[in-house]
Amino acid sequence: MSFRMSKGAFWATLAVFLVGVFCFGPGMGQTLAQEKVIKIGTLFPLTGPVATAGQRCQAAVQTAVEIINNKHPELKVPLADQEGILDGYKIVLVHADSQGKPDVGKAEAERLFNQEGVWALIGSYNSSVSKPASLVAERMKRIFMCGASSSAALTQRDMNFFFRLAPTDETESVEFVETLKWLNQKKKANIETIGLIYENSEFGKHAAGEAKKAASAAGLKVVADVPFSPGATNLNSEVQTLKNANPDAVLGALLGADYSLWIRTMKQMAWAPKIAISYCSGYQDPVIAKQLGPDADFFMGSTAYSPQFNVLMPAVGDVEKIFKTKTGGVPFDGDSIQEAVAMLVLAQAIQKAGVLDAEKVAETLHANTWDSPLSLGGKVAFAKGGQNSKAHSVVTQLQGGEYKRIFPEEMADTEIVFPIKPWNQR
Amino acid sequence: MVGKSVDLKTFSAKDGLWVAFVVILAILPLIPAFSSNSFRLHVMILILLYASMAQAWNIIGGYCGQVSFGHSVFFGIGAYGAGMAVVTYGATPWPGIIVGMIMAAIVAVIISYPCFKLSGHYFAIATFAIVEIFNRGFLVWDWVGGALGLDYPIIKEGLVNLMWHQSKTGYYYSALVIFVIIFGTVRWLEGHRFGYYMRAVREGQETAESLGVNSAAVKLTAMALSAAMAALCGAFFAQYNLRVDPPMVMSLDTSMKFVLITILGGAGTMLGPLLGASVLIPLQEYTRAFWGGLGGGVDLIIFGVLIILMVVKQPDGMIGLIRDVGKWASNKRAEERN
Amino acid sequence: METFLQVLIDGILSGMVYALVAAGLCLIWGVMDVINFAHGEYLMVAMYVSYWLGFLVNVDPLVSTIAAGVFIFGLGALTYKLIIRFTIGKPGLVALLATFGLAVFLKNLCMNQFSPNFRILSDTWLGGKTFHIGGIILAVPQLMAAVLALVVVVLLYLLINNTRFGWAVQATAMDRDAAELVGINTERIYILVFGIGGACVGIAGGIMPSYLAVHPEVGSMFGLIAFVCVAMGGFGSIPGAFLSGILVGVVEALAGFYIAPVFKYVAVFGLYLAVVFLRPKGIFGW
Repeated sequence: MSFRMSKGAFWATLAVFLVGVFCFGPGMGQTLAQEKVIKIGTLFPLTGPVATAGQRCQAAVQTAVEIINNKHPELKVPLADQEGILDGYKIVLVHADSQGKPDVGKAEAERLFNQEGVWALIGSYNSSVSKPASLVAERMKRIFMCGASSSAALTQRDMNFFFRLAPTDETESVEFVETLKWLNQKKKANIETIGLIYENSEFGKHAAGEAKKAASAAGLKVVADVPFSPGATNLNSEVQTLKNANPDAVLGALLGADYSLWIRTMKQMAWAPKIAISYCSGYQDPVIAKQLGPDADFFMGSTAYSPQFNVLMPAVGDVEKIFKTKTGGVPFDGDSIQEAVAMLVLAQAIQKAGVLDAEKVAETLHANTWDSPLSLGGKVAFAKGGQNSKAHSVVTQLQGGEYKRIFPEEMADTEIVFPIKPWNQR
Repeated sequence: MVGKSVDLKTFSAKDGLWVAFVVILAILPLIPAFSSNSFRLHVMILILLYASMAQAWNIIGGYCGQVSFGHSVFFGIGAYGAGMAVVTYGATPWPGIIVGMIMAAIVAVIISYPCFKLSGHYFAIATFAIVEIFNRGFLVWDWVGGALGLDYPIIKEGLVNLMWHQSKTGYYYSALVIFVIIFGTVRWLEGHRFGYYMRAVREGQETAESLGVNSAAVKLTAMALSAAMAALCGAFFAQYNLRVDPPMVMSLDTSMKFVLITILGGAGTMLGPLLGASVLIPLQEYTRAFWGGLGGGVDLIIFGVLIILMVVKQPDGMIGLIRDVGKWASNKRAEERN
Repeated sequence: METFLQVLIDGILSGMVYALVAAGLCLIWGVMDVINFAHGEYLMVAMYVSYWLGFLVNVDPLVSTIAAGVFIFGLGALTYKLIIRFTIGKPGLVALLATFGLAVFLKNLCMNQFSPNFRILSDTWLGGKTFHIGGIILAVPQLMAAVLALVVVVLLYLLINNTRFGWAVQATAMDRDAAELVGINTERIYILVFGIGGACVGIAGGIMPSYLAVHPEVGSMFGLIAFVCVAMGGFGSIPGAFLSGILVGVVEALAGFYIAPVFKYVAVFGLYLAVVFLRPKGIFGW
């Protein structure tokens, strides 16, 4: 196979190299005919293991943009009753796929800023992608709105152009432990031990770390610490480990298919803890209740939104109709709605600042409290570092396929079913 | 296709071509058409990086004939070397790069020693298994950051920290230097006695042994060299992305890249890795840029089909294609003469 | 003790399914020396076939597993006709590269068509049913899958060793040219072998929706484990692949429970290394 190189081969190689780099050059930020346009980039995992969530997040941002760009007097959402912002500026989205990989996400963030000429970025679901991608924005002094990434570390970096809407896993962990303490007081639940099951990724590991901190602060003992490889072929040994340790409560951080596998494996092994609370993602996926049917019932988790929250957030219903046309009927969940909020709040801030100047808009974002009918609590405000200090979520329980609010008490609408009903009595 | 037969020990016409090639590459960023478009520069950096990675693999996989799917382990060790130097110890990445390369070479020798007793597919799958073991191991190893990975802080840009924020030109020249180092080494090996030993081992271990080549030593040395080079590329990858975590660097996906690019270009040839990277990387980056945003993986569907087409049409790799074109051209010339 | 038995049995059951997936790969690999990288994706496609049959026309996976087998038989034959045929006799990695492209293609095509959502068939005949022996719980769907795996692997073994077709396959595997000389249509053998290899994984995938969610990424890990099983058993040895499939399942379960769940795949890959370091040609290799 040894191949003596000739001049021809050489120049052919060079030609291939140059053609590769040069000829397919993507649109160098095609200038649109319309002048009054603000380009916003979205960066979500549209392919790969968490593509479901990524595609929903993208649809949520599109929904928000539709509201901003067009007149929707029927919606009770800021900017709905006018066309565009800043006297006629329309928002144009440029979409990119991070594949859930940090290196791809970073490269796409750079491409969106430099080549597509976007003015700000919204993204990127995976905390591990949001980290490097937001660094790109920060260095370029551009705004990065982050809807759903939950790692608390993101907003502990003192960045000026980074804003995150969702509650962090730190707040959620504290809330979970509060729930357990409340149960101990009110219901004499006698919960003393905790088991953790989480996917061994940035998301799961970070959540578990925060959970351990919160648990030990409250004097609860962690008796089982079970990380697993996402995408596993079975969770038999994971559940068996939990079953043997038999903790009173289980805190879980599992995504989509892994969550359903976990529930089904517990059923198969005829074991359930007294109470199980999950971090947002897997549990609040709107298809879970439908797919798992009665098996999903009585499990709990934090939820930032669900269609059953209509009483608290009456404005969402009509917005959700637009969203459903883009997702084939799947409603918002707590993650995707945060991305819509991110887009809306950013547009509000641009409107208020009055100029398309990233630094001004970032200052405005920090300085004000924003009306946000799509957020639980209705307000958004950013602390230093960019965390939404008004971020709330409620601990809910699935009962009969619906997310019922349980804790905190002032938000509750249903009595908790405690402990989880044994599998053979359903 | 017969090139000029030259004394390989001296500077040859062929090397002159390489120098010209590198000079052209070095000038490219000075042309505004390249430098003003940072995505284009990004693609060029990736081509150089992946060509270098593939060439590093080519030492053991192409020239020596040992198909390893384990190179992401060495790549990862290099990345962690640089990453930990900066993130964990707050130093410059340079000592980390050196340590990473040495560690990679040591690990390569340790794991290859038993693996080299295996032949063909058994060896390939053993290296597969090793990647998975390292991947899971690093995911739970807290000292290296575990599943959380290592995130670079924002520190001063420049050669000292091997990090640039404003423009990518610094990265481009660093990648070019790595490219020159690795391709230069392989070029030197091609003419060196050791290069002949490697090819002898590839063609037949027994025959090579009978000629007095210590095949085990040759394979181990080649593997160590290859691993150290892969680690160098890994360190650059970490510096470029400012983040390291196990799925990013120590995964079968990454390993596949090493192999894919080399095979696609033409294994065991010096031009192969460069050709493969020049085709595959722009393909991957541009399909994503064009169609990735549509969602639904259209870019990857096209990417998959194109790989199949290329392989089916030209199983010898790009180099075979060029060879065919060359043959066709010289035949044509011969016809004209008649 | 009860826990140990429970873990062991769970391991054996999942191991049997690994074995069936591996058997198909083993046949292709043994006869053609082709690494089919898209094997895990075949499994995924088969699961979708079975899922859609169940969802749209309400056929139980237990029945549609046959349809899935037939479908993947066709897909395998087509793969051979369109892709693999061109790589035979070329450097070994070429086929691997082509099937890698096929894997990327299939995975993303399914994602594009069926969305990345995971899907579960509710109300299958077996779904969620268990029965108890002493304190040990047996899940019926997994048990059924294991029995099916056993039956198919035995049939496959008989087919290869006790029929004229099987002898022709063996002859082709040993020496294609010689087989051609004695009048075997080796091209047809290759097509059929690729199809049958696909059918095995198709049957495995067909029954899985009764206990596992279907999504585009579901096949990857199974594919990887199948590689390990085949190599551990020794090339082309169907009993070897079967035995090592079960061994992998058991080791995975035991290590996952007694060491740590994160290490269950580490143990599987470690087991492979241990086996081939002791027996460089696998358990049944020669």
